[in-house]
Amino acid sequence: MAHADVFVSVVAALHNDADIVSGFIDDTLDVLKREYENYELVLVDDGSTDETVAIVSEALASHECIRLIVLSRRFGRESALSAGLDSVIGDYIVVIEPDRDPVSLVPEIVEKAREGVGVVFGVRKNRRGDSLLKRMASGVFYWYFRRVLKIGLTRNSTDYRVLSRQALNAMIRMKDSLRYLRTFSLYIGYGSESFEYEFEHRRARPRNKSLGESVRIGISMIVASSTHPLRSVSLLALVLSLGSVAIAAYVLLVRFLAQDVAPGWATQSLHRSVMFFFLFLILSVLCEYVGRLLAEVRDRPLYHVVEERNSSVMIADEDRKNVVTDSQER
Amino acid sequence: MGHTPDYDVVVVGGGFFGCSLAIHFKEELGLRPVVLEREADLLQRASYVNQARVHNGYHYPRSLLTALRCRVNFPRFVRDYPECVVSDFKKYYGIGRLFSKVTAEQFRRFIMRVGSPIEPAAPDIAGLFNPDLVEEVFAVTEYAFDPVILKDITRARLDAAGVEVRFETEAVKGEGTAEGHLAVTTLDAGGERRITATSVQNCTYAGLNRLLSRSGLPNIYLKHELTEMALVKMPPELEGLSVTMMCGPFFSFMPFPPLGLYTLSHVRYTPHCEWYDHTNGAASDPYAYFDAVEKRSFGAHMIRDASRYIPALAGCSQVDSLWEVKTVLPRSEVDDSRPVLYVTDWGLPNLTCLMGGKIDNIYDIIGFETERYQKTGVV
Repeated sequence: MAHADVFVSVVAALHNDADIVSGFIDDTLDVLKREYENYELVLVDDGSTDETVAIVSEALASHECIRLIVLSRRFGRESALSAGLDSVIGDYIVVIEPDRDPVSLVPEIVEKAREGVGVVFGVRKNRRGDSLLKRMASGVFYWYFRRVLKIGLTRNSTDYRVLSRQALNAMIRMKDSLRYLRTFSLYIGYGSESFEYEFEHRRARPRNKSLGESVRIGISMIVASSTHPLRSVSLLALVLSLGSVAIAAYVLLVRFLAQDVAPGWATQSLHRSVMFFFLFLILSVLCEYVGRLLAEVRDRPLYHVVEERNSSVMIADEDRKNVVTDSQER
Repeated sequence: MGHTPDYDVVVVGGGFFGCSLAIHFKEELGLRPVVLEREADLLQRASYVNQARVHNGYHYPRSLLTALRCRVNFPRFVRDYPECVVSDFKKYYGIGRLFSKVTAEQFRRFIMRVGSPIEPAAPDIAGLFNPDLVEEVFAVTEYAFDPVILKDITRARLDAAGVEVRFETEAVKGEGTAEGHLAVTTLDAGGERRITATSVQNCTYAGLNRLLSRSGLPNIYLKHELTEMALVKMPPELEGLSVTMMCGPFFSFMPFPPLGLYTLSHVRYTPHCEWYDHTNGAASDPYAYFDAVEKRSFGAHMIRDASRYIPALAGCSQVDSLWEVKTVLPRSEVDDSRPVLYVTDWGLPNLTCLMGGKIDNIYDIIGFETERYQKTGVV
């Protein structure tokens, strides 16, 4: 079978994946070796506390074209992927989740990208395995993104994707400290296309994100991609302050025109409590953005690398003996 | 054979170190040396296929000692071998922004401490680099050498000194004789012979342990790597330049004068595989392995990665590759230092093993030998 004349890089972030990483490496290299002349598998260890690094290091000695980047602590999946994406050299870059994304699709989706699409991203066929609450939350999330923010985030899209070199270079130039592949690859343009697939979990009991974690990521993604919430609360604040002026005018009017003004305890309390409600709402949104500004202004490196290790396939012992025997005969 | 050995010293290996030592022994110390070389010519292996770089300390920002030795030896080499020194190119060191083990400021301070020239690169040069990946670019002074001219000079000096060189002659093993000398069994087209000498200098680089283990002596703990440097043609805008990116999984390119091409090496892709000679057990035959192994070039990988840092590099084309066995001391892996290996009386009295990674290490080695000769009367 002819190898495609294209350099493919596969990037995956690992965190405590000792149980599945060997299987993932074998499966991925099988596909890459079969399909491509030039390829690399870049694994980024995001502060694993188990045997992940040791297992991958062993694989480096027996498999070609693997690279392992070890981060100094856990920086989070997005930063770990950034570390990998910053150092890949391929023409087409596949981002994959080792636990659940089927490697067998790689040739097909790379082929799609080779037709000139900047980003080819995966979409889950269904959300089987998610709780009702989580499905509802995700419904709200996507509705907000698509209808309100007008960002065409495809429902149930995942991080499994192929980026062209051009698209990746554009992404690397973005220096945001919070990096979400899904929204980033929409932002850069370069055309996108989707493919549907179903998760193929390597673990019998997959590690699903908790609802709380998903909500946190969702809010973070919204804040990272849009100032809409800030705009809407500032608008709200404007309307409310105008309202306050109107109420003040009304109070003055009553004070001067009416004869018997009873002490307006009820009105005042109501007014105050409503105002405080909105005031704190506005503050909470502001806090989000101020926090984010702080993160951007600090301009800290996204990650720190302890070391990079590369495949260095040792010569098998048999070979060594052969060589020695052979030369002794001379 | 009487009580006088055939030679004062047998130098095994006709690389640059072996030849230079033989000349030194003959001319400075008045000894009778002989050089045994397995190939048909001198300086064929590591002395030829190295990056042809005359180090000036820039390369080792994590080992002050190595950097300082380079700084001391650099002017000596340039003075002693002016004919082979190639200096008609501009040399730059770029500091990586990501994945680098040094920062630009740290590198600048280090080089100033070592005392080598360093200044920021001109804007037109700095503009060749991708600012997202490169923190800063420095203009420095570093030269290349032409290994073919170095070979010719060495050969002429050997002839002038009247040093005997036996080509296509392999040193099979060494042993002690009853008279307290050393005997070396040699193998050439005419079969096995035995020559005796007061001392033996093992200068076979990757082959060090092969001679030792066949002599029944313990190995020196060594790491061998099969290495590849891509030989490339540079696009016009990069002609006359040499760049080294520091200090991590980066690349370096510099002129390779004998072929009029450039060598491109990469920390990640130049080493293809590695193996070790442990103290006990059989030593590998690195050169036999080298001949047997299938060599699949990583040149495309090197160019792809390097052109992320210097986009113009995408325009270079690979012509060929230089393959060689590189041998290092495993201890130097930690701090990147490149100490010279110099061990005397290894298993047998007056058997010296020496190895260095850089061409100008010869001055350190000659220094050791002179000191030893003054103390003991043998080399």
